[in-house]
Formats: sequence, structure tokens, C-alpha cells
Amino acid sequence: MSFLRELWRRLCWLVGRSRFYSELADEMQFHIESRAAELEQGGVPAHEALAKARREFGSRLKASEDTTGVWQIQWLEDLFSDLRYAARAFRRNPGFAATAIFCLALGIGANMTIFSITTSFLFSEPSARDSASLIAIWEGGNSGSSLTDYKFLRASDVFDGTAGINVEREVNWRSGDQTNRFYAGLVTDDYFKTLDAPFHLGRGIAPNERETAVLSYRVWRSKFASDPRILGRKLILDGQIFTIVGVLPAYHRSIVGFAISPEVYIPVRRDDEDVQFYARMPKGMTLPIARARLQSVFEQLDRIYPKDGRKRANQVRVTGVTGFDVLNQNIPGAVSAFFAMLMIVVGLVLLIACTNVASLLLARASSRSHELALRVSLGASRKRIIRHLLAESLLLSALGSLAGLLLDIACTNVVGKIAVPVPIPVHVVISPDWRLMGYSLGAVIASALFCGLLPALKAARRDVNDALKQDQRQTGHTWNLRSVLVAGQLAASVVLLATGFLFVHNLLRATSMNPGFDVHHTIWAHMRLVPENYAGADQKKQMGIVHSALEQLRALPGVESAAITQRVPLNDNCMTETDLRTDVSADRVRVSYECNNVGPDYFRTVGTPILRGREFSLADRKGSQPVVIVNETFAKTVFGNADPVGHTITSDFKGAEPQLIVGVVKDSKYFTLAEKQRLAIFQPYFAYAEPVNLHFLLRTTNSAAAYVKPISGVLGHLDSTAAIETKPMSQALGLALLPSQAGAVMLGTMGILGLILAAIGLYGVLLYSISGRIREIGVRIALGATSLDVLRVIGRQGLVLVASGMTVGLILAFWVTRPLTLFLVPGLSAFDPSAFVAAVGVLLAVAILGMLVPARRALRVDPIAAIRYE
Amino acid sequence: MADDSPQLLPGTLYMLILRALSGGPLHGYAIARRIKQCSADVLDVEEGSLYPALNRMLLKGWLRAEWGVSETNRKARFYRLTKEGRARLVSEENEFNKLVNAIQLVMKTA
Repeated sequence: MSFLRELWRRLCWLVGRSRFYSELADEMQFHIESRAAELEQGGVPAHEALAKARREFGSRLKASEDTTGVWQIQWLEDLFSDLRYAARAFRRNPGFAATAIFCLALGIGANMTIFSITTSFLFSEPSARDSASLIAIWEGGNSGSSLTDYKFLRASDVFDGTAGINVEREVNWRSGDQTNRFYAGLVTDDYFKTLDAPFHLGRGIAPNERETAVLSYRVWRSKFASDPRILGRKLILDGQIFTIVGVLPAYHRSIVGFAISPEVYIPVRRDDEDVQFYARMPKGMTLPIARARLQSVFEQLDRIYPKDGRKRANQVRVTGVTGFDVLNQNIPGAVSAFFAMLMIVVGLVLLIACTNVASLLLARASSRSHELALRVSLGASRKRIIRHLLAESLLLSALGSLAGLLLDIACTNVVGKIAVPVPIPVHVVISPDWRLMGYSLGAVIASALFCGLLPALKAARRDVNDALKQDQRQTGHTWNLRSVLVAGQLAASVVLLATGFLFVHNLLRATSMNPGFDVHHTIWAHMRLVPENYAGADQKKQMGIVHSALEQLRALPGVESAAITQRVPLNDNCMTETDLRTDVSADRVRVSYECNNVGPDYFRTVGTPILRGREFSLADRKGSQPVVIVNETFAKTVFGNADPVGHTITSDFKGAEPQLIVGVVKDSKYFTLAEKQRLAIFQPYFAYAEPVNLHFLLRTTNSAAAYVKPISGVLGHLDSTAAIETKPMSQALGLALLPSQAGAVMLGTMGILGLILAAIGLYGVLLYSISGRIREIGVRIALGATSLDVLRVIGRQGLVLVASGMTVGLILAFWVTRPLTLFLVPGLSAFDPSAFVAAVGVLLAVAILGMLVPARRALRVDPIAAIRYE
Repeated sequence: MADDSPQLLPGTLYMLILRALSGGPLHGYAIARRIKQCSADVLDVEEGSLYPALNRMLLKGWLRAEWGVSETNRKARFYRLTKEGRARLVSEENEFNKLVNAIQLVMKTA
């Protein structure tokens, strides 16, 4: 307490500091004059009295300093004076300061950007009141369960509120004669009440409401022109009328995390709809308690409403929804691994940047050794010198991070605007938060220490006498600390460059890779029907649409063929794992394969050759003999070299019948371009129809783009309530290319950053070392050395540095890139010689460029001037 | 004169200042004079340590300073005891008395 009060008084003093000095002077003046007056009264002559009083008082300066010292917080004063001193020094040498700040800004900015993206993607806190008390619940190990179960859980009253949401839904929005598709979040009517998130306008969906809707900020802005009077307006979604009651703010993050943000929220209405369970724990409840309570709720549920084949009480899981807890949820390992790798890579970039600054500071310290030695001999302690040098690097890194922060804000702004081409509504909301601030503060301190400590210690260790006697004359000893730093830097940038090139190569490979079907002449038309309009159990109405659509599409000029499919390759997939039996052997084979339901003409349309047998025909439909088409790899895995056509396969699903193989098609890519070749089974579309989403694929004679409009026209004419999206297949590869693109962009950028920084470092070291060797070079020239000889001397020094750095870098890169195979397209090994060669080549070119200016300076040395220079 | 006056016991300056102020607010010069007079010219507070000590006491909250007018009708800075300062005076006095008694005991009996 008293400490705080003292601190407060010190701060008050700091504020009124200038007045303090003048008052103290007045006070001492008064003291002296009072004493003089007293002396005068005692009989001392007036002019002597004042002098005597002054003598008695002693040094006013010392008294004043001592008094001021009482109030000062010494280390803070020292820090400020050091910083002021450093700022003055930088103003005298702006080139040095600008280079250092530029390097640090690049390093710290890159770090902050990646950090912002990573945290907002992986660890973003959902927009909700007290999100620490919110939990995600897995019933029976599943992320989603039916609304009936949800209602049971809610009625159990274990929690302070529950929330359910399904983000995997779409709805058609009809406005005028336009129909668009929205990514919808189907929420339980207590969702917004439990979350209690702030709203931009209006409110959330309230309990017992069935016809209200909430808009996301993005939809409100883009589709409704930010209409401030939007509340109360009607919205026709899937043919139903909803009333808009609220608009979420721009920074809203859904509870699902991973930047998933539905465009519109509507109440979930059907009891068989699946939702993800969330709940708010009451005060004092912990995760284990919550889990135990849930266990008993689900056991009860299993007893009252048994579900065949599945126990809800098995594998009940509970996790938090913020911070690292999020990683315990279902997230593909490759995604976390990718971000982890990014963080390592940007760490490396920062390391290179810091090394640059450290090496600049080293150079500066040794050219200032005279000044420093002078200060030491005048009584400055070594500690004081170290502190002073550290203050310089602290100032540099603070300014660097400030610039880096601006860079980060600019970059994340751009990133936030990028529409990620995935079939789920992903939208990253990036805003600087306390984590970023903490991170950047850490980066400042770490880089200040890393940059400044080594040069400072080295400068302070220097022998004063030596430094004073000898002026900075550097001779041939090239292998000093700076050289080691530069070599290390070069090594690190070899690693970065090799990784960057590897990913660029990967992208090129992925883009040019033949996915096993023709993307250039294929169009994908997606037609989403409103489910309620096609409710008939026999799907007659829907089949009617499909058939007339196919008929009319085929009749369009320029359309060679058209087919319907349940899933569009490289955009959606379905992996199944089962024990298969065939009619050729009694053994079961465990296989996992891709499955898709495709209509007649599918393979002709996408351009995948049929190797044996036939395509599906209209006769392959419900009720007819079950038939399948398999791919080459499937045939080889299950039947070896025998011809599978005419044989049957039977899976071990309940009631599965033997299916006759009628065809074998060539292998192709099914979900990502990077995937290893998978097994695939195709079933006839009309045997298992997909009720709502119709995917038509069309093959055109010319390039696909011109056909988009007429195709949409045909489909729109068939059902005006359907949402239609038509695009050339080449545009629809976004998802498949996303991993390669993200990798290439991120790591390529980092590689270039590293390269720039390493080039600056190399350039600086060579330039500095030459300026220290001017006399030596002058002597050499005077003794008859030719320009070539001089170049050889300079070149040798540079090349030795470059060669040793690269050797170390290559060895490191070889080890570092090995785990990256995970991210690469098949056929491209992490040990990619072309990437290594490219990295070394580019670095060599930059190194030579970096040596050019120093070499020119060396050649221009005038021997007379150089020798007289002493 | 400064040569033959004994050094102040360490730590007693605060106590002396507190005592000098216990009669009412005084300015710096008056404090020094009061201590000197009361000690029959034996204790001479050095100006070089008076002002740092006063400021340290301000910092600790024992004193408060305000500007006023001196007996010679000039602007001067007056120091006044706070409640904490009064409490401090009592405790310092007790401590000091104990110490002095103990020392005297030793000197008389040992």
C-alpha cells in the first residue's frame, strides 16, 4: 500500500517536474538569504554576509541533485536518457537506423501477420459473453446429434443454458426474380440467448420463434446495401418467409471456430436435423464434472430412447471453445501442422532480420570503439555502456515493431478480404488483440536482446587502452563474429528459399497436373432445389426436373454431353471403409475407397476413359440389378490382374446385395490434387438419388466460359425458386489447389523476405570489411596488384562466407524439409533437387550482386590517398 | 565551527526534523535553526543533507509542503507534519530512547 502511495507521489512529481526545479532553487535561495540576514544582524558586513552564507550552504548543485535523486525512479531516468542519447545517435546516422528498422519491420511484420492469421484461425475467441464457461459437447463421439437429443439435454437442466447450431446447411434466397444460395446456420431458439453475443442491429432469435432470421454483417453489407432499416423486413428462404430481427457485428466470430461464419442464421425446425451441442457451465463447474453429468444424461437417454447400433453414452467428450482447447476438437492434423510450420518459418525470418541488425550494431560498435573507450576512461561503468548499447537496440526494435505493426495491419486487411474457395463459409476475422500485443512486445524484447546483447558485451569487453591507442584498423582476420552471423544468416535463408521453392514447384506441379479428367471443356452447374417443394417420397417431381434439365442442356448448341452427379470431383468427396467380398474368393478384403453416384454419360462428359465394360445407362436405376463401375486401382487392389467386369462385390453393410461390376475407368483425382491414388466405386445416380443439390456437368466443344449464361437460363427456367451457380470447371478447382496455393504464397513470400534480408546482411558485412581494409588494398595496389588481384582478395572473402553458409544451409534444409512431404503432391519428394538448385542459384546471384558495390569501392581505392589516410 | 560540532547519529535527522515541526509548520531554514538552537548550538544540520531529507520525508508522506509567507515577509516553503508524520515521530522517539537507555546502561555498568 505505502509502496503504491509512494509511486503515486513520484508520478505526481514527474508531472510537475519543471516547477519543482525552480521551486527548489527558490527555496535554497531563500535559505541562503535568510542566513545572510541573520549574519548581518550579528554584525557581519552585508557583502560578506551573503558570501559567507553561500559558503556555509556548500554546493547548491549537489544539494539540488541529491534532492532530485530522492524523487527519481533511477532506472527509468537512465533508460530515458539512454533512449534520448540513442535517438540522437540515430539522427546522426540515418542510413544505419533506416536499414536496421527496415530489416526488423520486415521480420517482425511477417511474424505478426502469420501470428494474427494463425491465432484468429485456430484460437479465435467466439463472440459470446464469458466464453470461458462455454463448452462443446460430443455425444457418442460425434460432433452433431439430433434435435431430439438436444431437447433432452436441455430439459436435463445440467447447464446454465444450451446452444445448438448446424453450419453445414444452405438455403435459397429469393429476391425479385433472382435466386441466390446462402450458407445458413441452423440454430436452436436458445442459441443467441445462451451465447449472449453483441449485435450490430436488433437482437437474436428468441425462444419459441420459428420465423425470424439474423444476418451476418457481410451479407447485410453486400446484399442489403447496409440498409439501417433492415429490421422487420421479410426474407424468403427456401420458399419460407422469415423476418429479419438482427444483424451481427463485423467482428462476430461464430462459436464453431476455425473462421466458419454462416451468412444467415435461422431457427432449426425439424427434429431429425443434426446440431452441434454447446452449453454454458454454471459457476464452479469444471470440464470433468460437466463430462460426468453428461455421461449420466446420455445413459438415461440411451435407456429411454434406445438407438440401434449406437450408444450415446460412449465416447462422450467435452472441450472448451477458446484457446488451445479448440485444438482438441476435430481439426485436420495437416492444418495445425501447416500453421506450426508457418510459425517456425517466420521465426526463422525474424532470426535473420535480428542477425542483420546485430551485425550492423557490431559494425557500429567497433567503429565507435574509440568513443566507447573514451567514455569508459572518463568513468562510465561497463554496465552503463552495455545498458546504453542495449537501449539503442531496444529503440531500434521498438521502431521496427511499430513499422511491423503497420505492415501487419495492411497484410491482414488484405487477407481478411480474400474469399477462401472452400464449400463452407470460412471468413477470417482478424483484429489486433491482446495476444498480438503480447506477442509483439515479446518480439521487441527478444529481438532487442538478440540484436544488442552480443555487440554490447563485445564492445564492453574491449580493452580500453588498446582501443584508445589503435584506431580502427582491421587487417586480414576475416573470420570474426560478424562473418559467423552472416554465414548463419545465409544458411537460414537457404532453408527458407529451399522451402519456398519446394512449395512453388509444388504449386506448378499441382496446377499442371492432369487430374484424370478434362477441366478446360467442362462446366459445372449447381442447382439447389428448395426441399419443401419436392417433398414427395418417390422423388418423381425431382426426377422430372433432372430428366428435362439434362434433355434441354444437351440440346444447347455447343454442348457435347451432359451428365448428373452426386459429387463434383475435387470439390466434395465421401470416403468409405468396409470389408469387401467378391465372387472369386472367399476372403474378405479391407478397403477404403471414394464413392460417388453418377448418371449416364458421366465419364464421357468429364473425359475419363473407360478401360473395360460400359458406362451407366438410364436402365440402371432403382429396382434394377445393382451395378457399379470401379477405377483401375480398385480393380488392381481387389482383383489383381484379372478382369473384374462381370464379377460381383459385396460390402459388409447391413442388407448389402452383391453388386455387378459393369465397367472399369481410368484413375483420376477425387478430392485433392495432392492425394495419393485412391480406390473408387461409382454407383448409378438414378439408383440412389440426391434430393436437393443437383450437380450437372457439361462438356462443351469450345472453351467453357461462353456457355455459363445459357446454361443458367435453361435451369432457371425449369424452377425459378432454385438457386443456380454455373462456372467453368477450371474455376472450381479452387479448393483442390488451396493447400498448394496457400503453401506457395506463404512460404514463397517468406523465402523472398529471407533472401532480401540475407542479401542486406552480406552486403553490409562486405562493405564494412572493405572500408576497414582500404589501407591494405591501397598498399597492394601501390605494390603493383592489378584490379583482378584486388577483386580476388575481395571475392575470396565473400565467397568463403557464401560457400560456408550455403553448405550448412543445404545440410539443414535437407533435414528440415523432410517432414514437408505431407503437404506435397504425389511424385514430388521433399528432397526436390530443383528446389535446392534454385535456392543455391538465387542466393549465389544475390550474393554476387551484394558483393558488386563493395568490390567497386575496393577497385576505386586510390593508393596515395589510402596510405596517407593514416 | 562545523569542525568541532559532533556528527549526527545516523538516522536521527528524520526524528529531529519531525520533532522540530511538531510545534507547527516551519520553512527549511527555520528547521535548521530550530535544531541548532534547541541543541545549544551543538547539532548543526548540513544544508546539503537537509533538503534531500525533507524531500524523502515528503515522498514517504510524513510531511506536506506548502508555500507561505515568512516572518520577513518573503515567499517561503513551509513544511507541516501529516498524521503519518506524527505517528512516525512517536515511534522513532521510543526507539531512540530505548537505544540511548541501553547504551547508557552498558556505559554505566560494564
